[in-house]
Amino acid sequence: MSTPANVIHVPRPSRSSFNPNRPLTGNLLLQEQIKHFHRLEKELPEEQQTGIPFESITTEGEASAYVRKLTAVLHPQGARKEKVRKAT
Amino acid sequence: MSMGLDSLKHVVVLMMENRSFDHMLGSLKADDSRINGLTGNESNPDTTNEPATVQPLAEFQSQLDPDPNHDFADVNQQLFLGTPGPPAVASMQGFVQNYFQVQKDVDHSRKIMYYFTKDKLPVLTTLASSFAVFNGWFSSIPGPTICNRAFAHYGTSFGKVTMDPFDVVEPYVSIYERLLLDNHTAKLYYFDQASSTMEVVNLLKNQPQIFATYDEFLEDCKAGTLPDYSFVEPNYSDHSGDDGAEELASDQHPDHDVQAGEIYIASVYNAIHENPALWASTALLIVYDEHGGIFDHVPPPSCTPDGFVAPATDTGIGQPFAFDRLGVRVPAILVSPWVAKATVVPGPEDPVNGRIFEHASIPGTVTKFFIGDYDNRSPREKAAATFLDLLGDQQRPDSDCPVFNLD
Repeated sequence: MSTPANVIHVPRPSRSSFNPNRPLTGNLLLQEQIKHFHRLEKELPEEQQTGIPFESITTEGEASAYVRKLTAVLHPQGARKEKVRKAT
Repeated sequence: MSMGLDSLKHVVVLMMENRSFDHMLGSLKADDSRINGLTGNESNPDTTNEPATVQPLAEFQSQLDPDPNHDFADVNQQLFLGTPGPPAVASMQGFVQNYFQVQKDVDHSRKIMYYFTKDKLPVLTTLASSFAVFNGWFSSIPGPTICNRAFAHYGTSFGKVTMDPFDVVEPYVSIYERLLLDNHTAKLYYFDQASSTMEVVNLLKNQPQIFATYDEFLEDCKAGTLPDYSFVEPNYSDHSGDDGAEELASDQHPDHDVQAGEIYIASVYNAIHENPALWASTALLIVYDEHGGIFDHVPPPSCTPDGFVAPATDTGIGQPFAFDRLGVRVPAILVSPWVAKATVVPGPEDPVNGRIFEHASIPGTVTKFFIGDYDNRSPREKAAATFLDLLGDQQRPDSDCPVFNLD
């Protein structure tokens, strides 16, 4: 049973935090993730490739669009079925 | 066997990104001297040779931009500045001078010493204070993400110290494959398709059946259908969701908003906690993959060599690496109602009772609990400390466990 003493309120981030236009040059991890996907894409049949020029991916939003397309090929079961949570 | 272990059916690991122990939890030493955090006097020399002292000024975003370097050679400088280098004991004096290289700005470079105050991280610090916090959990390699996460999945990085894809070397297989072959269940939950996983080239490509999404994790928690072992990945990017919603990166990787990660950690905790049967039968480990170039004051210890050797061309320091020492210390917290309140697991600061953990402890622990004797593991994993002995005989009442309000 929860009591007021053990309920912790968690503040939400500022709405201005969201920035899909953040340059990929500032995030070494995402740069590498799309490199891994690019390596994998080259092994896929042509009809499953994204057609997105790798060099054109310069922002987080563009990277996530590229990652989404390839993950949908590799793991189509991951398409969202219904909304079961609040957006983080 | 303790009653906690007897009740255990599920192990869940949530691995976050790129923050050091002192940066996130160092402030807790002021409340509990058993926690090996910061005294406030720790410092590094900046490039003008002036001391840059740790400051409780860490902010959620915009401070560590660009991303601090943390490739093997960069971490080597962070650890060994002013020493002859390995195998000497690390000085932990090179973080500021290394961060200077990304922007050539002395004031900016000093921010690598900033840490969060307790009130800014109510989720992580509450969990650390309420359950078990590890003083001695280190990243597996003094280097970047991919090779460190490999240790969590395979107990080895197969000789890699870089972000490059690695080739799995027989006879080793992932913890997921081991469990499935032994008639157990395991899933690797990624946030959504746009964020996906960091284990692309091997697991996602070859074993997509072990993957599921964060939405499915929430459903599995609610329905009581969580597998024996779950590995949860955060959202790695700011992107629009399928329904147009703004999905804020929750991985806490610089320069992503740390508060979004707090909410994500709380949501994973809440999902388990809100199902009483699941809560009583689950151990949740929250851990960070590596330090991301951010200061920590504890020198990483040596460890059992991994049997692989990374060539000097990969390390970038002119020497090969035998995987015989660990990377920088990271936050790690074990959550379960069977963990005694305010447990502090001593680390290298306690030469008698201290215990050293690293990411190979994850497959090591899961294998030991669910499978038992299993030989085809890396020397590092075989030697790694396991952590389920922290589950005792007393189940704490719910009134003694935190609840996170995310509204």
